[in-house]
Amino acid sequence: MNMPKHPISFKTYTGHYRRRYLLPAGFLLVSFLLMILPLQGFVASVKAVLAYVFIPQIRLAHSTVQYAQNVSQTVQELLLAHQENEHLKQEIQTAQLLAAQAKDVFAENERISQLLKITPTRPWKGVWAKVAYREPTQWNTVILDKGTADGVKERSAVVTVVDGQEGLAGVVVETTENTAKVLLVRDEDFSAAVQLERGGEAGLLVGDGPRPVQIKYIPLLTHVEKGDKVYTSSSSSVFPAGILVGTVSHVREGDSFQTALTVEVTPQVSSPAVREVFVILDN
Amino acid sequence: MLNALKLFFLFVCATVFHWAFAGLFARVGLSVNVILIFVTAFCALFKLPFAYSAAFICGLFLDFFSTKLFGGNAFTFTVCACIICNIAPRFDFAEPFPQMVAVFVLTWLAALLNTLLVFVFASASAWPGLLSTLGGSVVDALFAPAVFWLVKRVLGTGSIARQV
Repeated sequence: MNMPKHPISFKTYTGHYRRRYLLPAGFLLVSFLLMILPLQGFVASVKAVLAYVFIPQIRLAHSTVQYAQNVSQTVQELLLAHQENEHLKQEIQTAQLLAAQAKDVFAENERISQLLKITPTRPWKGVWAKVAYREPTQWNTVILDKGTADGVKERSAVVTVVDGQEGLAGVVVETTENTAKVLLVRDEDFSAAVQLERGGEAGLLVGDGPRPVQIKYIPLLTHVEKGDKVYTSSSSSVFPAGILVGTVSHVREGDSFQTALTVEVTPQVSSPAVREVFVILDN
Repeated sequence: MLNALKLFFLFVCATVFHWAFAGLFARVGLSVNVILIFVTAFCALFKLPFAYSAAFICGLFLDFFSTKLFGGNAFTFTVCACIICNIAPRFDFAEPFPQMVAVFVLTWLAALLNTLLVFVFASASAWPGLLSTLGGSVVDALFAPAVFWLVKRVLGTGSIARQV
Protein backbone atom coordinates (compact mmCIF):
# COMPACT_ATOMS: atom_id res chain seq x y z
CA MET A 1 0.00 0.00 0.00
CA ASN A 2 1.47 3.37 -1.01
CA MET A 3 1.51 5.62 2.04
CA PRO A 4 2.46 9.25 1.53
CA LYS A 5 5.95 9.98 2.93
CA HIS A 6 5.15 13.21 4.79
CA PRO A 7 3.24 13.01 8.08
CA ILE A 8 -0.51 13.14 7.51
CA SER A 9 -3.64 12.82 9.61
CA PHE A 10 -5.75 9.67 9.75
CA LYS A 11 -8.59 11.46 7.92
CA THR A 12 -6.32 12.46 5.02
CA TYR A 13 -4.94 8.95 4.82
CA THR A 14 -8.38 7.31 4.68
CA GLY A 15 -9.40 9.80 1.97
CA HIS A 16 -6.31 8.85 -0.03
CA TYR A 17 -7.08 5.14 0.50
CA ARG A 18 -10.69 5.62 -0.57
CA ARG A 19 -9.74 7.40 -3.78
CA ARG A 20 -6.99 4.99 -4.70
CA TYR A 21 -8.64 1.65 -3.95
CA LEU A 22 -12.28 1.86 -2.91
CA LEU A 23 -13.53 3.93 -5.84
CA PRO A 24 -12.19 1.68 -8.63
CA ALA A 25 -13.19 -1.39 -6.61
CA GLY A 26 -16.72 0.02 -6.36
CA PHE A 27 -16.88 0.66 -10.12
CA LEU A 28 -15.52 -2.81 -10.87
CA LEU A 29 -18.14 -4.32 -8.57
CA VAL A 30 -20.99 -2.38 -10.23
CA SER A 31 -19.74 -3.41 -13.70
CA PHE A 32 -19.48 -7.01 -12.57
CA LEU A 33 -23.04 -6.92 -11.20
CA LEU A 34 -24.30 -5.43 -14.47
CA MET A 35 -22.58 -8.24 -16.36
CA ILE A 36 -24.00 -11.09 -14.31
CA LEU A 37 -27.54 -9.71 -14.08
CA PRO A 38 -29.97 -10.77 -16.83
CA LEU A 39 -30.47 -8.20 -19.62
CA GLN A 40 -34.08 -7.65 -18.55
CA GLY A 41 -35.35 -5.91 -15.43
CA PHE A 42 -32.80 -3.73 -13.64
CA VAL A 43 -30.28 -3.76 -16.49
CA ALA A 44 -32.98 -2.84 -19.00
CA SER A 45 -33.95 0.10 -16.76
CA VAL A 46 -30.33 1.29 -16.61
CA LYS A 47 -30.12 1.03 -20.40
CA ALA A 48 -33.35 3.01 -20.76
CA VAL A 49 -31.95 5.78 -18.54
CA LEU A 50 -28.72 5.82 -20.55
CA ALA A 51 -30.76 6.09 -23.74
CA TYR A 52 -32.11 9.42 -22.53
CA VAL A 53 -28.74 10.63 -21.21
CA PHE A 54 -26.73 9.78 -24.32
CA ILE A 55 -29.18 10.67 -27.08
CA PRO A 56 -27.99 14.32 -27.40
CA GLN A 57 -24.40 13.16 -28.02
CA ILE A 58 -25.55 10.56 -30.53
CA ARG A 59 -27.57 13.14 -32.44
CA LEU A 60 -24.70 15.64 -32.39
CA ALA A 61 -22.19 13.03 -33.56
CA HIS A 62 -24.46 11.78 -36.29
CA SER A 63 -25.21 15.24 -37.63
CA THR A 64 -21.48 16.13 -37.51
CA VAL A 65 -20.53 13.02 -39.46
CA GLN A 66 -23.31 13.60 -41.94
CA TYR A 67 -22.23 17.21 -42.41
CA ALA A 68 -18.60 16.21 -42.93
CA GLN A 69 -19.59 13.51 -45.37
CA ASN A 70 -21.94 15.85 -47.18
CA VAL A 71 -19.16 18.35 -47.98
CA SER A 72 -17.16 15.89 -50.07
CA GLN A 73 -20.31 14.26 -51.40
CA THR A 74 -21.72 17.59 -52.53
CA VAL A 75 -18.58 18.40 -54.50
CA GLN A 76 -18.59 14.99 -56.15
CA GLU A 77 -22.29 15.16 -56.86
CA LEU A 78 -22.00 18.58 -58.45
CA LEU A 79 -19.42 17.23 -60.85
CA LEU A 80 -21.69 14.37 -61.90
CA ALA A 81 -25.04 16.14 -61.53
CA HIS A 82 -25.94 16.71 -65.19
CA GLN A 83 -25.03 13.24 -66.35
CA GLU A 84 -26.80 11.68 -63.39
CA ASN A 85 -29.86 13.86 -63.95
CA GLU A 86 -30.29 12.60 -67.52
CA HIS A 87 -29.83 9.02 -66.40
CA LEU A 88 -32.33 9.44 -63.56
CA LYS A 89 -34.95 10.95 -65.87
CA GLN A 90 -34.80 7.80 -67.96
CA GLU A 91 -34.98 5.65 -64.85
CA ILE A 92 -38.01 7.56 -63.57
CA GLN A 93 -39.80 6.98 -66.87
CA THR A 94 -38.98 3.28 -66.69
CA ALA A 95 -40.07 3.15 -63.04
CA GLN A 96 -43.37 4.86 -63.87
CA LEU A 97 -43.98 2.31 -66.59
CA LEU A 98 -43.17 -0.55 -64.23
CA ALA A 99 -45.33 0.97 -61.47
CA ALA A 100 -48.28 1.09 -63.85
CA GLN A 101 -47.69 -2.55 -64.77
CA ALA A 102 -47.24 -3.47 -61.10
CA LYS A 103 -50.53 -1.81 -60.23
CA ASP A 104 -52.30 -4.05 -62.75
CA VAL A 105 -50.39 -7.10 -61.49
CA PHE A 106 -51.32 -6.34 -57.87
CA ALA A 107 -54.97 -5.88 -58.81
CA GLU A 108 -54.90 -9.15 -60.72
CA ASN A 109 -53.13 -10.85 -57.83
CA GLU A 110 -55.73 -9.62 -55.38
CA ARG A 111 -58.56 -10.78 -57.64
CA ILE A 112 -57.09 -14.25 -58.08
CA SER A 113 -56.23 -14.44 -54.37
CA GLN A 114 -59.85 -13.69 -53.50
CA LEU A 115 -61.02 -16.38 -55.90
CA LEU A 116 -58.59 -18.89 -54.40
CA LYS A 117 -59.25 -17.63 -50.87
CA ILE A 118 -55.58 -17.01 -50.05
CA THR A 119 -53.97 -13.94 -48.51
CA PRO A 120 -52.62 -11.70 -51.27
CA THR A 121 -49.03 -10.42 -51.19
CA ARG A 122 -49.01 -6.79 -50.13
CA PRO A 123 -46.47 -4.22 -51.30
CA TRP A 124 -43.88 -3.30 -48.66
CA LYS A 125 -44.30 -0.14 -46.66
CA GLY A 126 -41.35 1.30 -44.80
CA VAL A 127 -38.72 3.97 -44.39
CA TRP A 128 -35.20 4.41 -45.72
CA ALA A 129 -32.58 4.81 -43.02
CA LYS A 130 -28.84 5.32 -42.89
CA VAL A 131 -26.33 3.45 -40.74
CA ALA A 132 -25.36 6.00 -38.11
CA TYR A 133 -22.92 3.92 -36.08
CA ARG A 134 -21.06 0.64 -36.01
CA GLU A 135 -19.73 -0.69 -32.75
CA PRO A 136 -16.05 -1.52 -33.39
CA THR A 137 -16.19 -4.68 -31.31
CA GLN A 138 -19.40 -5.92 -32.90
CA TRP A 139 -19.28 -5.88 -36.66
CA ASN A 140 -22.67 -7.47 -37.05
CA THR A 141 -24.67 -4.85 -35.20
CA VAL A 142 -25.44 -1.40 -36.58
CA ILE A 143 -27.41 1.59 -35.32
CA LEU A 144 -29.78 3.30 -37.76
CA ASP A 145 -30.71 6.98 -37.75
CA LYS A 146 -34.45 6.24 -37.63
CA GLY A 147 -36.44 5.14 -34.60
CA THR A 148 -39.92 4.90 -33.18
CA ALA A 149 -40.62 8.50 -34.24
CA ASP A 150 -40.47 7.24 -37.86
CA GLY A 151 -42.55 4.15 -37.12
CA VAL A 152 -39.67 1.69 -36.72
CA LYS A 153 -40.56 -1.12 -34.33
CA GLU A 154 -38.71 -4.03 -32.84
CA ARG A 155 -38.71 -7.12 -35.09
CA SER A 156 -38.99 -4.98 -38.23
CA ALA A 157 -37.27 -6.58 -41.22
CA VAL A 158 -34.38 -4.61 -42.73
CA VAL A 159 -33.42 -4.95 -46.39
CA THR A 160 -30.92 -3.20 -48.61
CA VAL A 161 -29.99 -3.14 -52.27
CA VAL A 162 -26.66 -4.55 -53.41
CA ASP A 163 -25.74 -4.51 -57.10
CA GLY A 164 -29.33 -3.72 -58.08
CA GLN A 165 -30.75 -6.68 -56.17
CA GLU A 166 -32.53 -6.36 -52.85
CA GLY A 167 -31.30 -8.58 -50.05
CA LEU A 168 -32.05 -9.26 -46.42
CA ALA A 169 -29.81 -7.17 -44.16
CA GLY A 170 -31.12 -8.01 -40.68
CA VAL A 171 -33.77 -7.32 -38.09
CA VAL A 172 -34.42 -4.48 -35.66
CA VAL A 173 -33.85 -5.62 -32.07
CA GLU A 174 -33.99 -2.39 -30.08
CA THR A 175 -35.45 1.02 -30.71
CA THR A 176 -35.29 4.49 -29.22
CA GLU A 177 -37.11 7.58 -30.43
CA ASN A 178 -34.53 8.36 -33.12
CA THR A 179 -32.36 5.27 -33.42
CA ALA A 180 -32.80 1.56 -34.03
CA LYS A 181 -30.35 -1.24 -33.37
CA VAL A 182 -30.16 -3.87 -36.12
CA LEU A 183 -28.78 -7.39 -35.87
CA LEU A 184 -27.24 -8.26 -39.23
CA VAL A 185 -27.60 -11.66 -40.88
CA ARG A 186 -24.15 -12.85 -39.76
CA ASP A 187 -24.78 -12.16 -36.06
CA GLU A 188 -24.83 -15.20 -33.79
CA ASP A 189 -28.24 -14.20 -32.41
CA PHE A 190 -29.83 -13.84 -35.85
CA SER A 191 -32.22 -16.45 -37.22
CA ALA A 192 -34.83 -16.51 -39.99
CA ALA A 193 -37.14 -19.01 -41.63
CA VAL A 194 -35.94 -19.46 -45.21
CA GLN A 195 -36.59 -21.64 -48.21
CA LEU A 196 -34.44 -22.90 -51.04
CA GLU A 197 -35.19 -21.67 -54.54
CA ARG A 198 -34.78 -25.07 -56.22
CA GLY A 199 -37.18 -27.29 -54.32
CA GLY A 200 -38.81 -24.91 -51.89
CA GLU A 201 -37.56 -26.84 -48.83
CA ALA A 202 -37.75 -24.73 -45.69
CA GLY A 203 -35.08 -24.44 -43.03
CA LEU A 204 -33.82 -22.19 -40.31
CA LEU A 205 -31.05 -19.76 -41.24
CA VAL A 206 -28.74 -18.87 -38.37
CA GLY A 207 -25.80 -16.48 -38.25
CA ASP A 208 -22.56 -17.64 -36.70
CA GLY A 209 -20.37 -14.57 -36.29
CA PRO A 210 -17.12 -14.97 -38.23
CA ARG A 211 -18.08 -18.48 -39.42
CA PRO A 212 -20.38 -19.10 -42.43
CA VAL A 213 -24.12 -18.51 -42.14
CA GLN A 214 -25.95 -21.85 -42.03
CA ILE A 215 -29.36 -23.27 -42.85
CA LYS A 216 -30.39 -26.04 -40.54
CA TYR A 217 -33.13 -28.68 -40.70
CA ILE A 218 -33.02 -29.19 -44.49
CA PRO A 219 -34.21 -32.78 -45.13
CA LEU A 220 -31.35 -35.21 -45.92
CA LEU A 221 -32.38 -36.17 -49.46
CA THR A 222 -32.89 -32.61 -50.63
CA HIS A 223 -31.13 -31.75 -53.87
CA VAL A 224 -29.10 -28.62 -53.11
CA GLU A 225 -26.24 -27.27 -55.18
CA LYS A 226 -23.69 -24.56 -54.75
CA GLY A 227 -25.09 -21.32 -56.20
CA ASP A 228 -28.75 -22.04 -55.37
CA LYS A 229 -30.53 -18.98 -54.13
CA VAL A 230 -32.13 -18.76 -50.67
CA TYR A 231 -35.20 -16.64 -49.95
CA THR A 232 -37.18 -15.78 -46.82
CA SER A 233 -40.03 -18.17 -46.25
CA SER A 234 -43.72 -17.34 -46.07
CA SER A 235 -43.79 -19.16 -42.72
CA SER A 236 -41.69 -16.41 -41.12
CA SER A 237 -43.57 -14.14 -38.74
CA VAL A 238 -40.91 -11.42 -38.98
CA PHE A 239 -39.78 -11.29 -42.61
CA PRO A 240 -41.97 -10.95 -45.70
CA ALA A 241 -41.64 -13.91 -48.04
CA GLY A 242 -39.41 -13.77 -51.10
CA ILE A 243 -36.53 -11.57 -49.93
CA LEU A 244 -33.21 -12.85 -51.26
CA VAL A 245 -31.05 -13.91 -48.32
CA GLY A 246 -28.01 -15.28 -50.17
CA THR A 247 -26.63 -18.13 -52.24
CA VAL A 248 -25.59 -21.62 -51.20
CA SER A 249 -21.81 -21.80 -50.84
CA HIS A 250 -21.37 -25.30 -49.46
CA VAL A 251 -23.47 -28.33 -48.61
CA ARG A 252 -22.26 -30.34 -45.66
CA GLU A 253 -22.94 -34.01 -46.32
CA GLY A 254 -24.72 -35.56 -43.38
CA ASP A 255 -22.92 -38.13 -41.27
CA SER A 256 -24.63 -41.44 -40.67
CA PHE A 257 -26.27 -40.25 -37.44
CA GLN A 258 -27.56 -36.96 -38.86
CA THR A 259 -31.17 -36.48 -39.89
CA ALA A 260 -30.81 -33.17 -41.71
CA LEU A 261 -28.42 -31.37 -44.05
CA THR A 262 -26.50 -28.28 -43.03
CA VAL A 263 -26.20 -25.80 -45.85
CA GLU A 264 -23.73 -22.92 -45.74
CA VAL A 265 -24.86 -19.66 -47.29
CA THR A 266 -23.03 -16.57 -48.52
CA PRO A 267 -25.31 -13.68 -47.56
CA GLN A 268 -26.42 -11.40 -50.39
CA VAL A 269 -25.64 -8.45 -48.10
CA SER A 270 -22.26 -8.52 -46.40
CA SER A 271 -22.00 -6.69 -43.07
CA PRO A 272 -19.67 -3.88 -44.32
CA ALA A 273 -22.00 -3.27 -47.31
CA VAL A 274 -24.88 -2.23 -45.05
CA ARG A 275 -25.02 1.56 -45.29
CA GLU A 276 -28.48 2.62 -46.46
CA VAL A 277 -31.33 0.30 -45.64
CA PHE A 278 -35.08 0.01 -46.04
CA VAL A 279 -36.92 -0.87 -42.83
CA ILE A 280 -40.17 -2.68 -43.59
CA LEU A 281 -42.77 -1.30 -41.22
CA ASP A 282 -45.95 -3.06 -42.10
CA ASN A 283 -45.31 -6.77 -42.57
CA MET B 1 -19.16 25.09 -12.10
CA LEU B 2 -16.43 25.72 -14.69
CA ASN B 3 -14.90 22.33 -13.92
CA ALA B 4 -18.25 20.61 -14.37
CA LEU B 5 -18.63 22.34 -17.75
CA LYS B 6 -15.11 21.27 -18.75
CA LEU B 7 -15.84 17.66 -17.79
CA PHE B 8 -19.13 17.71 -19.65
CA PHE B 9 -17.51 19.23 -22.73
CA LEU B 10 -14.74 16.60 -22.73
CA PHE B 11 -17.26 13.78 -22.32
CA VAL B 12 -19.31 15.11 -25.23
CA CYS B 13 -16.12 15.41 -27.33
CA ALA B 14 -15.13 11.84 -26.45
CA THR B 15 -18.51 10.38 -27.37
CA VAL B 16 -18.94 12.46 -30.52
CA PHE B 17 -15.42 11.70 -31.82
CA HIS B 18 -15.84 8.04 -30.92
CA TRP B 19 -19.16 7.77 -32.73
CA ALA B 20 -17.79 9.61 -35.75
CA PHE B 21 -14.39 7.93 -36.16
CA ALA B 22 -15.33 4.41 -35.02
CA GLY B 23 -18.07 4.33 -37.66
CA LEU B 24 -15.79 5.83 -40.29
CA PHE B 25 -12.91 3.38 -39.74
CA ALA B 26 -15.27 0.41 -39.35
CA ARG B 27 -16.03 0.82 -43.06
CA VAL B 28 -12.43 -0.06 -43.89
CA GLY B 29 -12.39 -2.88 -41.34
CA LEU B 30 -10.44 -1.20 -38.54
CA SER B 31 -11.57 -1.50 -34.94
CA VAL B 32 -10.75 2.02 -33.75
CA ASN B 33 -11.62 2.82 -30.14
CA VAL B 34 -11.41 6.61 -29.89
CA ILE B 35 -13.14 6.78 -26.52
CA LEU B 36 -10.35 4.64 -25.03
CA ILE B 37 -7.81 7.30 -26.07
CA PHE B 38 -9.87 9.88 -24.19
CA VAL B 39 -10.07 7.56 -21.18
CA THR B 40 -6.26 7.17 -21.23
CA ALA B 41 -5.88 10.94 -21.39
CA PHE B 42 -8.42 11.45 -18.59
CA CYS B 43 -6.61 8.95 -16.37
CA ALA B 44 -3.21 10.46 -17.10
CA LEU B 45 -4.32 14.05 -16.50
CA PHE B 46 -7.28 13.97 -14.07
CA LYS B 47 -7.23 13.53 -10.32
CA LEU B 48 -8.06 9.97 -9.29
CA PRO B 49 -11.79 10.27 -8.45
CA PHE B 50 -12.52 12.11 -11.72
CA ALA B 51 -10.34 9.69 -13.71
CA TYR B 52 -12.08 6.55 -12.42
CA SER B 53 -15.55 8.09 -12.77
CA ALA B 54 -14.84 9.26 -16.33
CA ALA B 55 -13.52 5.83 -17.33
CA PHE B 56 -16.56 4.07 -15.85
CA ILE B 57 -19.05 6.45 -17.51
CA CYS B 58 -17.29 6.20 -20.89
CA GLY B 59 -17.47 2.41 -20.56
CA LEU B 60 -21.19 2.60 -19.83
CA PHE B 61 -21.60 4.76 -22.92
CA LEU B 62 -20.14 1.97 -25.06
CA ASP B 63 -22.22 -0.62 -23.21
CA PHE B 64 -25.32 1.25 -24.25
CA PHE B 65 -24.67 0.12 -27.84
CA SER B 66 -23.74 -3.41 -26.92
CA THR B 67 -26.20 -6.20 -27.61
CA LYS B 68 -24.28 -9.05 -26.07
CA LEU B 69 -23.12 -7.92 -22.65
CA PHE B 70 -23.96 -4.92 -20.51
CA GLY B 71 -21.20 -3.71 -18.18
CA GLY B 72 -18.30 -5.31 -20.05
CA ASN B 73 -16.86 -2.07 -21.39
CA ALA B 74 -17.38 -0.32 -18.04
CA PHE B 75 -15.35 -3.10 -16.39
CA THR B 76 -12.65 -3.01 -19.08
CA PHE B 77 -12.28 0.77 -18.93
CA THR B 78 -12.11 0.75 -15.13
CA VAL B 79 -9.30 -1.82 -15.31
CA CYS B 80 -7.53 0.38 -17.90
CA ALA B 81 -8.04 3.38 -15.58
CA CYS B 82 -6.47 1.48 -12.67
CA ILE B 83 -3.41 0.72 -14.81
CA ILE B 84 -2.96 4.26 -16.14
CA CYS B 85 -3.64 5.94 -12.78
CA ASN B 86 -0.97 3.76 -11.18
CA ILE B 87 1.70 4.19 -13.85
CA ALA B 88 1.00 7.90 -14.51
CA PRO B 89 3.39 9.21 -11.80
CA ARG B 90 6.25 7.16 -13.32
CA PHE B 91 5.36 7.87 -16.97
CA ASP B 92 6.04 11.14 -18.76
CA PHE B 93 2.66 11.69 -20.37
CA ALA B 94 3.71 15.15 -21.54
CA GLU B 95 5.62 13.54 -24.43
CA PRO B 96 3.82 12.08 -27.48
CA PHE B 97 5.75 8.79 -27.55
CA PRO B 98 4.67 7.54 -24.07
CA GLN B 99 1.11 8.60 -24.90
CA MET B 100 1.17 6.56 -28.12
CA VAL B 101 2.70 3.51 -26.44
CA ALA B 102 0.16 3.60 -23.60
CA VAL B 103 -2.77 3.91 -26.00
CA PHE B 104 -1.42 1.16 -28.28
CA VAL B 105 -1.01 -1.27 -25.39
CA LEU B 106 -4.34 -0.35 -23.79
CA THR B 107 -6.21 -0.86 -27.08
CA TRP B 108 -4.92 -4.43 -27.19
CA LEU B 109 -5.64 -4.99 -23.52
CA ALA B 110 -9.18 -3.58 -23.84
CA ALA B 111 -9.90 -5.69 -26.96
CA LEU B 112 -8.63 -8.88 -25.31
CA LEU B 113 -10.35 -8.26 -21.98
CA ASN B 114 -13.63 -7.31 -23.62
CA THR B 115 -13.50 -10.42 -25.83
CA LEU B 116 -12.82 -12.56 -22.77
CA LEU B 117 -15.70 -11.00 -20.80
CA VAL B 118 -18.16 -11.40 -23.67
CA PHE B 119 -17.03 -15.00 -24.11
CA VAL B 120 -17.33 -15.82 -20.39
CA PHE B 121 -20.55 -13.96 -19.55
CA ALA B 122 -22.45 -14.03 -22.86
CA SER B 123 -20.90 -17.13 -24.51
CA ALA B 124 -20.40 -15.12 -27.68
CA SER B 125 -17.51 -13.88 -29.77
CA ALA B 126 -16.61 -10.18 -29.79
CA TRP B 127 -13.11 -10.52 -31.26
CA PRO B 128 -12.88 -8.11 -34.20
CA GLY B 129 -9.92 -9.96 -35.76
CA LEU B 130 -6.16 -9.70 -35.48
CA LEU B 131 -5.57 -7.31 -38.38
CA SER B 132 -8.56 -5.18 -37.43
CA THR B 133 -7.30 -4.81 -33.85
CA LEU B 134 -3.71 -4.21 -34.98
CA GLY B 135 -4.78 -1.54 -37.48
CA GLY B 136 -7.16 -0.02 -34.94
CA SER B 137 -4.49 0.16 -32.25
CA VAL B 138 -2.07 1.87 -34.68
CA VAL B 139 -4.73 4.44 -35.60
CA ASP B 140 -5.54 4.92 -31.90
CA ALA B 141 -1.85 5.48 -31.15
CA LEU B 142 -1.60 8.05 -33.95
CA PHE B 143 -4.64 9.90 -32.59
CA ALA B 144 -3.29 9.88 -29.02
CA PRO B 145 -1.14 13.07 -29.07
CA ALA B 146 -4.03 15.09 -30.54
CA VAL B 147 -6.47 13.80 -27.91
CA PHE B 148 -3.99 14.40 -25.06
CA TRP B 149 -3.42 17.93 -26.38
CA LEU B 150 -7.18 18.60 -26.49
CA VAL B 151 -7.77 17.26 -22.99
CA LYS B 152 -4.79 19.21 -21.60
CA ARG B 153 -5.91 22.37 -23.39
CA VAL B 154 -9.48 22.17 -22.05
CA LEU B 155 -8.43 21.05 -18.58
CA GLY B 156 -5.76 23.70 -18.01
CA THR B 157 -4.51 23.73 -14.42
CA GLY B 158 -7.93 23.60 -12.76
CA SER B 159 -8.72 21.72 -9.58
CA ILE B 160 -9.58 18.52 -11.43
CA ALA B 161 -6.13 18.32 -13.03
CA ARG B 162 -3.64 15.89 -11.53
CA GLN B 163 -0.83 17.59 -9.61
CA VAL B 164 2.39 15.98 -10.83
